[in-house]
Amino acid sequence: MSTTTPSPQTEAPTPSTQQGVTGLTDSSTPLYQRVIRMQAFQILLVLIVIIAVFATLAPHNFANLSNARQIVQNASILAILGVGMTFVIITSGIDLSIGSVMVFSGVIAAKLMIALGGDGWGTAFLGIGASVLTGLAWGMLNGFLIAKAKIPPLIVTLGTLGMALGLAQILTHGVDIRTVPQVMQDEIGYGNVFGQVPVLSIIALVVIALGMVLLHGTRFGRYTYAVGSNEESARRVGVRVDAHLIKIYALSGLLAGLAGVLSLAQFGTTAIAGQTQTNLNVIAAVVIGGTSLFGGVGTIFGTVVGLFIPAVLQNGFVIVGIQPFWQQVAVGAVLIAAVYVDQVRRASAARGRPTRSLFRSRSRTTPEEGSSEGDAA
Amino acid sequence: MKSTKLVAVASVAVLGAGLLSSCGAAENGSSSSGGGDKKSIAFIQGVAGDQFYITMQCGIQDEAKKLGATVKVQGPEKFDPTLQKPIVDSVVASKPDAILVAPTDVSAMQAPLKAAADAGIKVVLVDTTVNDPSFAVSQIASDNEGGGKAAFDAIKSQVPNGGKVLVVSVDPGISTTDARVAGFKQAVAGDSKFKYLGVQYSHNEPATAAKIVTAALQKDPDIVGVFATNLFSAEGSATGIRQAGKQGQVKVVSFDAGPDQVKALEDGTIQALVAQQPGVIGQDGVQQAMNALNGKSTEKQIQTGFTIITKDNMNGDAKDAIYKSSC
Amino acid sequence: MTDTKPVLEARGLTRRFGSVTALDGADFDVRPGEVVALIGDNGAGKSTLVKALSGNLEVDSGQVIFKDVVRVIDSPTTASALGIETVYQDLALAPHLDPVQNMFLGRETMRPGLAGHLGFMDNRSMRKEARSAFDKLGATVRSLDAPVGSMSGGQRQAIAIARAVHWANEVVFLDEPTAALGVRQTANVLETIRRVASHGVAVVFISHSMPHVMEVSDRVQVLRMGKRVATYRTEDTTMEELVAAMTGATGQVAA
Repeated sequence: MSTTTPSPQTEAPTPSTQQGVTGLTDSSTPLYQRVIRMQAFQILLVLIVIIAVFATLAPHNFANLSNARQIVQNASILAILGVGMTFVIITSGIDLSIGSVMVFSGVIAAKLMIALGGDGWGTAFLGIGASVLTGLAWGMLNGFLIAKAKIPPLIVTLGTLGMALGLAQILTHGVDIRTVPQVMQDEIGYGNVFGQVPVLSIIALVVIALGMVLLHGTRFGRYTYAVGSNEESARRVGVRVDAHLIKIYALSGLLAGLAGVLSLAQFGTTAIAGQTQTNLNVIAAVVIGGTSLFGGVGTIFGTVVGLFIPAVLQNGFVIVGIQPFWQQVAVGAVLIAAVYVDQVRRASAARGRPTRSLFRSRSRTTPEEGSSEGDAA
Repeated sequence: MKSTKLVAVASVAVLGAGLLSSCGAAENGSSSSGGGDKKSIAFIQGVAGDQFYITMQCGIQDEAKKLGATVKVQGPEKFDPTLQKPIVDSVVASKPDAILVAPTDVSAMQAPLKAAADAGIKVVLVDTTVNDPSFAVSQIASDNEGGGKAAFDAIKSQVPNGGKVLVVSVDPGISTTDARVAGFKQAVAGDSKFKYLGVQYSHNEPATAAKIVTAALQKDPDIVGVFATNLFSAEGSATGIRQAGKQGQVKVVSFDAGPDQVKALEDGTIQALVAQQPGVIGQDGVQQAMNALNGKSTEKQIQTGFTIITKDNMNGDAKDAIYKSSC
Repeated sequence: MTDTKPVLEARGLTRRFGSVTALDGADFDVRPGEVVALIGDNGAGKSTLVKALSGNLEVDSGQVIFKDVVRVIDSPTTASALGIETVYQDLALAPHLDPVQNMFLGRETMRPGLAGHLGFMDNRSMRKEARSAFDKLGATVRSLDAPVGSMSGGQRQAIAIARAVHWANEVVFLDEPTAALGVRQTANVLETIRRVASHGVAVVFISHSMPHVMEVSDRVQVLRMGKRVATYRTEDTTMEELVAAMTGATGQVAA
């Protein structure tokens, strides 16, 4: 029967022809995780190559600690958003509203801090709390509309994108608020620990670490993959899919709220007209990082690497002195390449089928079974 | 096999990037490894692709050539501090001798530009400024309040009998446009025949400006003049007036003189343009930067003038005041 | 074995979808440790009946009796809590998760103490338990770490059945488990069914394939137009008789 095997890529990466579970030992590297790791590793390779190219072109100006520090600092806020977006996209959803939610949460925080008065930590912490809660509220609204009202995520978050931005403009009459407690700007926005490490980056690092643990270590993460992999199956085995989706979007909103107040701290302004591209930049990073828009696959690590590719490209292009427009061209090309690779990978992993249709996949692969030498003892 | 493929794709992409980089650098005609003591100047625009900044770039490049300096130009895709800051940081990392920059926000750009100055780079603020510009060797901009007055004078010469006037500006918080609006408002207040309807913000979107103007004409059909404080606002305002069928009744005076505005001037949708002198700003900027680099004294603040362009003088003595799309 | 009381029994289940009556007072029963084949023509109500008994569909009227107690099985979770599991035609597996993750999906073993409360799972013990569950059924799973989406149809079937059997200590429903399988895989599934029943679990087996029904079942219940029209002991009947009952040529109630 093996001669009738229809496609040449049916062999999975491991040449395991062993029969039965008992044939495998615990010491064998987890295959699934290995594939994922490989994907992230490949993205990392791309990043390293990009860095190497710029380091060669501009050895003194690009490849030094203070430049690296700037790149990391400028990517920090996006990384926080990227953690939430990774969860969302793994469920095969999307969150377009993050940029506007950032602005809105920043406005609420700024207004509250002005009302409270004072330039100290007390005011700053209340502002941070207000921003995070505001973001959480928007996220819960997104999640509720998506999970309960069954409106597609693209539409819901496009709607809340406009609502959050419009309400931010109404609250401020379109005038940016530039009154931010001094400690916030000095200690968070431009603060450093150990002399050189930006506080913003430390916060981002903590969020990334927590995100990794949550996604890869806990039941919450497991359900996130399950919902994105096959929502109906998850529902049937008793996963509370609706509640889970609400939590996912709430998480994304919460992180947008955090990002909003950090942006306020960094820039000292609510930047109402800004953040218009933030959502797309973050989505691009997540996708470049190997998270599949079809759901079920993705890592936080990949997202972080995916964020650094555009960030390093932009930085390098500026230093080398290339027209700024080329950066968009390059990032666009990387994005398409990343999705192409995802397609190739999924095609071979799922034997030519998008993973959604398990049934069709099954009937297609039926003739291959002979090649795996019997399925039950 | 799969990994080989990805690496191949990546390599091609990166090689392409490398290729681009060499081309791009060559295009600007300024190899940084050039003459030993040639000074390098970086110009960071408020937004890339805007004719105002392109004209300024032309002035900078001409003057730099004359004084023997190299120029690199960068700018964000949008007039947005969150996009401009990473560019400023990257430019600082490239260690030019001087930076000419049009800050996109008075607060947000304060710290990054201060950091540039602290790193020993001479910073010249062109067109816009920041909250505390004391670190800059010079600030060069149009006398924007004076520009606002000039705009009112232009409207007055079009509508001597007076009436209602509206202002369409970009976003609040941009020092230049705020000053233009203030100058305009003050000038209107000094003339009892005119009534000031206030300022609306287009967020630099022509479509928004068009909506604002059509809506304002619904509310006050007897508006006689619109002052649009920048290029996109003017283009949108002209569209809005055309949509409302009020060409001729409503006189539009705009700031700046890009090719599209000049076209609108030709078509009669805009009646007068208050042209800044971005080329002069750029020239002055380079001169001040070079003075600072050569240890000479600098002028802390320079205000440049305006040219009022109408249909009558656009092909005559005001011709050179029109902005350029390329150098 | 066939003389014991039913573990699960349905009496007079009725369900209408608009003008269509899918179940029209259907009865059904299955005893511990036996394999009951549920057969009927397309549209006879087999899948509807299974959905009703596994908590995936509400009925308009009728009773479900589980171990002598009238129960309302209104969700798959309720069914699971009673020890009733279903292997759906589409298997309901998450293709990106591995066999262990699929087996425990929705019923993860948490780590003891605080870590468990924080949402950390005991992957080691789940893996161990899954391995022994697969071994118990003699199911061949290529790898415990590969996503099930990368596995063959037979392997996925084996995983889905193993999952159901692992959690079901009373009743397993198998909806057309052999429909998409080749000869060898079918034989494996049928053998698995017997093995499950030998552990004392009631197996309800829906199939269109008369040879499979004759091979594996203890009793056959025939549905026609939303009603149970006949029940046979498999050893006392023939394929011709079953087909006749399905198509309405004959009808009797026996066994």
